[in-house]
Amino acid sequence: MEYLTTLVVMGAWMEQAGLGAGGMRAAIVAALPRLRRFCQAMAGNSVDGDDLMQATVERALSRSGQFEPGTRLDSWMFRIAQNLHIDGARAAKRRGTAVDVDALHSLAGSDGRELVEGRSQLAAAQRALQALPDDQRVVFVLVVIEGRSYRDTAEVLDLPIGTVMSRLARARGRIAEALGETRESNKDAAR
Amino acid sequence: MTLSREERLAAWLDGELTGAELTAFEAELGSDPDLAALAQEWQGNDSLMTAAFAPVAEAPIDPAMLERLGLVEPPAPIAANDNSPWWQRHALPLGGALAASLVAVLLVAPRSGGDARDPLSQALDRTPSLAQADLPDGRKITPMLTAQAADGRWCRAFGDGKDVAMACRDDKGAWIIEAKGKGSAPADNAEFAVASGADDAALDAAQARLKLADPLDATAEQALIAKEWGGHSSK
Repeated sequence: MEYLTTLVVMGAWMEQAGLGAGGMRAAIVAALPRLRRFCQAMAGNSVDGDDLMQATVERALSRSGQFEPGTRLDSWMFRIAQNLHIDGARAAKRRGTAVDVDALHSLAGSDGRELVEGRSQLAAAQRALQALPDDQRVVFVLVVIEGRSYRDTAEVLDLPIGTVMSRLARARGRIAEALGETRESNKDAAR
Repeated sequence: MTLSREERLAAWLDGELTGAELTAFEAELGSDPDLAALAQEWQGNDSLMTAAFAPVAEAPIDPAMLERLGLVEPPAPIAANDNSPWWQRHALPLGGALAASLVAVLLVAPRSGGDARDPLSQALDRTPSLAQADLPDGRKITPMLTAQAADGRWCRAFGDGKDVAMACRDDKGAWIIEAKGKGSAPADNAEFAVASGADDAALDAAQARLKLADPLDATAEQALIAKEWGGHSSK
């Protein structure tokens, strides 16, 4: 909660002092670890996730005037990231880019920081998330991984709460299937 | 709004059910083993997903990434073709024929009448940058620059043909070595060679730690030597 307080206080401070760029930069740096996780979860691997994060930060800095002081900066950045991700996914579809699922899996968590066990856990989680369509994935990531309320999530995504609820239920159903498959294949491999 | 069983389960897991809805759902959970089993499965999956992604938000964002993102001020721009640290770009010309022409030799010997300080301190007190001083132990040192530390002390970088070092003058007139690094091989004319190949890391670290100001130019340095480093006793 300390984190949230920091962001809200920073927002108010920026508004009061009219501090534009410098304060905005500091607030973005504070939000970066969560933004990075959000982007990696949306993009499906750490490399594309960091690219998405970079594009998000660039856009946030170039459109800092559109941020409403006093609101949560991280929510605003999640929304930017989600829009960029959807745009990117559409563009990839138009280009007919095939997604190499094995490459994604080997890339997931490939930054060497995680232990092998943590990496395979993250890879399994990424696999399950990638089994979701984008609109379910973003709701699941915001509510379950980022711990946002339904109301927050509905605001970030500009959706009715009812839509958030139905997507979450469907997302959890699919996640259960995907994780179930992983467990089955692990059992097969152990045999 | 009528919610499906799965939607109510999801909302319960997320702590979004309240009041009568919450009471009713928990009663349903108690009487429906299938629903209870599903609740347990989803709850386990949520924990697994959350735990798997937790380290991603805990990993530090490295400075290079912050710079790439435009979130830190980039280091001060350096003139083209000049990647040397500041202490090699100082106000005094160094290296080549120009430096050679400036080299003068001073002999620093213990004076009768008792400057009790060590010969190195005496040499650093009196030798202008780029001049060479012979120490009684046979070393030849060449100060390279003079700059003031944030704490007010005067500091000098110097070399002995083998190593480079940074020393700062304490209020008793003793020059205390703050950092040492490997210098380049001595040039054949015994001129101290600093222009290339020197191990700068140690001196760079020292200059950062001491927060050295820009080096003095030759005139200011000469004046400082003349007034014996700001009037502190050197006797």
